[in-house]
Amino acid sequence: MAAVVTVDAVRKRYRRRDPWAVDGVTFELEGGHAFGLLGPNGAGKTTVVKMIAGLLRPDSGKVLLFGTEPGNPGARRDLGFSPEDPDFPKFLRAREVLDYFASLLGLDETERSRRIPETLEFAGLDKERRQIRQFSKGMKQRLGIAQAILGRPKLLILDEPTADLDPLGRRDVRALIDRLKESGVAILLNSHLLSEVELVCDTVAIMAKGRVLKEGTMAEVVPQGRSLEDVFVELVEASAPPRDQLPSFISDKEKG
Amino acid sequence: MNGTLAVARYTLLELTRRRILLVFFIIGAILIALLGIGLKIFYSAIVSGTTSGPSAPNLTPEQTNRLVEFLFVSQILSVLSIFGILIAFGLGMTAIYHDLESGAAVSIFSKPVSRVAFTIGKLLAAVVGLVAIVGVLALEARLVMYLFGGGLENALWVEILATIANTVVLMLIVLALSTWMNNIIAAVVAFIYYNVVAGVLVFLHTLADQGAIGNEFARFAINVGYWLVPHNLTSSALHDLAQAQIEISSGGPRAGASNLPAASGIGDVVWWAFVVLFFAAMVYYSVRRRQV
Repeated sequence: MAAVVTVDAVRKRYRRRDPWAVDGVTFELEGGHAFGLLGPNGAGKTTVVKMIAGLLRPDSGKVLLFGTEPGNPGARRDLGFSPEDPDFPKFLRAREVLDYFASLLGLDETERSRRIPETLEFAGLDKERRQIRQFSKGMKQRLGIAQAILGRPKLLILDEPTADLDPLGRRDVRALIDRLKESGVAILLNSHLLSEVELVCDTVAIMAKGRVLKEGTMAEVVPQGRSLEDVFVELVEASAPPRDQLPSFISDKEKG
Repeated sequence: MNGTLAVARYTLLELTRRRILLVFFIIGAILIALLGIGLKIFYSAIVSGTTSGPSAPNLTPEQTNRLVEFLFVSQILSVLSIFGILIAFGLGMTAIYHDLESGAAVSIFSKPVSRVAFTIGKLLAAVVGLVAIVGVLALEARLVMYLFGGGLENALWVEILATIANTVVLMLIVLALSTWMNNIIAAVVAFIYYNVVAGVLVFLHTLADQGAIGNEFARFAINVGYWLVPHNLTSSALHDLAQAQIEISSGGPRAGASNLPAASGIGDVVWWAFVVLFFAAMVYYSVRRRQV
């Protein structure tokens, strides 16, 4: 099966004096698979997914989306991207945002009138009449996922999709991922919630400081009898200098 | 094309919901109506002899009405120009900035829309919004002119076209700056560049043209500066209005408005078109380079 995403020796930094945000990352993702990208804050996960979504250009290396450059708008036709902390034009309503994005996706009137109400219902926003500026973070997150699936993507990138969701919302997202995987959609999941990644992903890559520390199927990365969290903590701590657990003014027993 | 139209359509929808633009529009509309009604009352008072004003004893009521109408049109053009500038700032500060800063651009740019289509859509929406708001205010001014009997439509329309052309340039400068700095700072920088630096250079250029500046080097420097900044397009309306007022007041043809700038020439219009294209290209360049 042809790779949906190819990331080959990609490097990226935001300014010339900055350290590499992404340093030599390589992986591939095929249809019907879920790939989990894990790492502590600042590991470079979001930079990687933004390069795949055509939002950032790599300084070196190669990123291909459905075999072409993600910067080419045509390559993004089958991409659904739910960004971390999603936001939208703040004076529009949820339905208008979806109609706007449906227009960008080139959906005709018939498809729009079918998909938009169903997508809004899935996101629990079908009765919502307020403008985006009055939305909570959780509502924006649900709208972010809704707009990502609106175009029936062949690749769905979810960057911290459940960070602001309640347990029911998380369950819905897991069900969505399972259903999409079954229908052959490739999923790229970026998350801090290791238990969630363990539940839905077939393969994972653990990143720190812009580099991939370990990559493989769940069975290859997590040995029998251990959890993904154990492996993650061990790898990440080994790549960083040890630090005190708590500030001294908290851990000091003596007062005054 | 679909992407451009979608961006333009929803940007316009957003702009119609922005209170600041609504406030500018309402204040402008009220001011124009009050100006017309106020001057009409003022005229009535002059004709009935209850007050003194521009009516000289030898002016007929018709001449007085005409004079007040000229005064009204001059004031209307100033009001439209001021509110055009305010609306240009309002549109320039909001049309692109919030999408880039809030993160909305991340969702938009991950869709199959190119950044050039996004930029054109945004520019289209901003220009349509500007023309619509200033156009409605101009239409209102035209209706208020019926209080005086009309007859100065051409003066009004050509000058309004020039006002819109000038405010488009200002709006593009604010848009271009707001794509790579805070929108309030962008507005301040644009104000200094467009209204202060360009204003002073255009004023000095007018003086130099009239022979008030004799020094050759100063004239050369002013000329160079003049062609480095955007300069307002003007119709002959202000000049003609002033001339007509002088003629009515003095009872016949007389020179007197020659110190007012003449109508812009073809060189100014070409320069305007170049400035518009330059700043539109600047907006695109900033949007294209922007890492969201």
